[in-house]
Amino acid sequence: MGRKKFRLDVTSTRSRRILFYLTLILLPLLAGVICLCIGRYTTTAGETLAALGRILTQGVEQGDNLAKIIRDMRLPRIVLAILVGAGLSVAGLAFQSLFANPMASPDTLGVAAGASFGAVLALLFDTSTLTTQFIALLMGFAAVGLTLSIGKGKGAERSLTSMILGGMVISSLFSALISLVKLVADTDSKLPAITYWLMGSLSNATWYTVAFALPFVLGGIGLLYSIRWRLNILPMSEDEIQASGSNVTVLRLVTALASTMITAACVSTCGQVGWVGLLIPHICRMALGSDNMVLVPASVSVGAVFMILVDTAARSLSPSEIPVSVLTAIIGAPVFIALLRKTGGWSL
Amino acid sequence: MTFEVKNGSFRYAHGRQVLNNISFSVENGQMLAILGPNGAGKTTMLRCMMGFLKWTEGHSLLDGEDIAGMSQRKLFSKVAYVPQAKNASLASSVKDMVLLGRSSHYTIFGKPGAKDRQLVTDTLARLGLSALADCSCAELSGGELQMVLIARAIVSEPQIIILDEPESNLDFKNQLIVLKTLRNLAEQGITCIFNTHYPVHALRHADKALLLDKSGNVCFGAVHEVITEDNMRRAFGVETVIGQIETPHNEYADVLAVNTLPEEPAISEDPSEESEKNTMTQIANEENTRLATLSIIVEDRENADKINAMLHEYGQYIIGRMGMPYPKKEVSIICVVIDAPETAISALSGKLGQLRGVSMKTTYSKK
Repeated sequence: MGRKKFRLDVTSTRSRRILFYLTLILLPLLAGVICLCIGRYTTTAGETLAALGRILTQGVEQGDNLAKIIRDMRLPRIVLAILVGAGLSVAGLAFQSLFANPMASPDTLGVAAGASFGAVLALLFDTSTLTTQFIALLMGFAAVGLTLSIGKGKGAERSLTSMILGGMVISSLFSALISLVKLVADTDSKLPAITYWLMGSLSNATWYTVAFALPFVLGGIGLLYSIRWRLNILPMSEDEIQASGSNVTVLRLVTALASTMITAACVSTCGQVGWVGLLIPHICRMALGSDNMVLVPASVSVGAVFMILVDTAARSLSPSEIPVSVLTAIIGAPVFIALLRKTGGWSL
Repeated sequence: MTFEVKNGSFRYAHGRQVLNNISFSVENGQMLAILGPNGAGKTTMLRCMMGFLKWTEGHSLLDGEDIAGMSQRKLFSKVAYVPQAKNASLASSVKDMVLLGRSSHYTIFGKPGAKDRQLVTDTLARLGLSALADCSCAELSGGELQMVLIARAIVSEPQIIILDEPESNLDFKNQLIVLKTLRNLAEQGITCIFNTHYPVHALRHADKALLLDKSGNVCFGAVHEVITEDNMRRAFGVETVIGQIETPHNEYADVLAVNTLPEEPAISEDPSEESEKNTMTQIANEENTRLATLSIIVEDRENADKINAMLHEYGQYIIGRMGMPYPKKEVSIICVVIDAPETAISALSGKLGQLRGVSMKTTYSKK
C-alpha cells in the first residue's frame, strides 16, 4: 500500500522482543561503566574497573583514592543520572499521552516551577541539602495540587485545557516568586548558588540525595510501567476512555500523580533539567512507533543513557562544570530538528 | 440480551429539556436507527444511554439491570461504543488501536496477551482490513478509520454496539460497507444501535427506528411504521416522498426530501388540535390492510431458510403461498399472497430485497 512508515520492529517475534529488552537493559549499564572511567581524575579503563571490583568485593581501604572517587563521587552521580534521565523521559511520555499533546513536558502542571521555588527558598535560608530537597519536593506537589484545583472548574467537567492553563498560571506565579527570592537574596553568597541551582546540575549527587529521590522516581516509573497499556487510550476522547472500561478520573489522576512524583523528586535533587522529557519520548516514537507498551521501557532506557552521557560531558568537558540543562538544550535542539526533518512531523 | 430505556429524560443543568420521557427496547440481533433533525439530541441520547451523561430521570437497563449501578468494566465488556471517525490525530498503528478494544476485559494494570492479538488479527481479516494492520491511524481515509473503530468495538466481544453516525462522513461505497457490516453483526446476534442522518439507511437496513423531534418527543417502533411521510414532516419540517425505485430485479425503498415547510406558528387557537397535529404517530397496525402479491426468485439456495423465517414472522397476514424449484436454471420461485397493513408489506419486501441473490417484486391491489 506504500503507506507503511519505517519503524524498528521489536515486537513481532519472541526473539525480537527478547533482543529488544536485553538491549534496553544493557545499554544504560554499558554507558554507565564507560562513563565511570571518564573524569578529571584521569585513569585508565582497566584501573577503574579494578577499583570498581574492589568496591564491590572488599570495600574501600584507607588511601585507595581512586576507589573512593568512584564510590563517593562518580557512582552516585551516574546512578542519579540514570534516575533523572529515565524518570523525566517517562514522565514526559505520560504527560504527552495525558494531554493528547506532543508539546506536553513533565512540568506542564507546574511541578518544576513549584519545586524550584521550594529549593530556592530553602537555599535562601541556607538549609542542608536534604532539607532543601525535601522542601522542593513538597512545593512541587503543592504546585500540582493548586493546578488541579484550578482546573477543576465549577460544576463543569474537569477539562484538560483548563488543566494546562492552570499549569501555566501556577508556573508563572512560582517563577515570579523565584524572581522575588532572587531579588532579596544576598548577591555575594546566596544569589550565585540559587542561579547555579536553577540551571540544573547533578553535582549534588551523594548516596544520600540519591536515596532520597530513589523511592519517588522508581515508584513513579513502576506505576507508569504497570499502566503502560492504558496510556494508549489516554489521549482519546473522554467517552472513548470510559467506553474502554476505565475510570477516566482515576486513570488521569494516577498518571498525573506518578509523573509528578518523578518530576518533583528529580527537580528537587538536581534542579531544572529541561528537554529530556520532550526529546527522549519523541526520539523513541520516531524510531519505534506510538505503542506505549514499547515506548515506556524504551524511554526509561534511552533517557538513562542520554542523561549519563550528557552529565559526563557536563562534568568533564571543561575545568568548571557546565550546567546540565545548557547541554541538554545545546545537544537536544539540533538532534531534535534533524529528527523532525528526517521523519516529517510529530504526532502522538 | 435486552437493552431498554425506561422513561429517560435529560436536561442540562439550568438548560432546556433536551429529551423527554423516552422509552424503547431492543432485542438480540436487532438494528435500531436513531433519527432526528440537527439539535434534537441524538448524540445526547446515545451518551445518556451508555451513562456518559446521567439521565435526569429514568434508566437504561441491560437485561433488566440498571447500568448506573454496574461497574464500568462490566458494562463496557457487554456494550461497545464507536465514536464518529473524525479524531484521526493518533499515530498508533491500526492493530494497536483495535487491540484497545480488549481493554474492558482487563483491570487498569492488565496487559493484552497472545490470544487478544490473535483475535485482533482474525477480526481485521474478517473485515478485510488485514492490509492496514501496520498502517498508522493518522494516514487512514475516513472510511477506513470508521471500519477500524468498528473492528475495535467488535474485538471487545460485545452484545451491543452503539455507533454515533457511523456513515456520516463517508462516500457512497463506504456507507454501504459500514451498513452491511452492521447488518452482518446483527445477524450474528449483536444488537446494533446507531445514529444516522439518512432516513433511507434506516429504512433499508434497520429493523427498528426511533425518531426524535426538536421538542424532545419521540416515536419508536418498526422502521416502516416510524419512517412515514407524516412523521418526517413533523420531525424534520420537510415534505418527503417515500417510495420505491424499481429495477428489473428488485424494488428499493427510498426517501426523497422535496420541499422544506415553513416553520409552523408556535401558538394555535385550539391547543388540543395543535398538539394532536404535532404528535408523531406510529401507524396503527390493525386497520387498512391491503392485498398484495410478492413474487420472488431465489438464486442463492443458502437464503431459503432466511426467507422462510421472514415469511414465518409475517405468517398471520399470509393467505397463500406457492413455491417451486426450477432445476434447469438452479433457482426457486416463490409467490406469496398477503393481506396486511401497507407498512408490514413494505417492511417484508424491503427485508427480502436486501438478501443476496434474491429478486423480488410487490404488486398491490388497487383498493
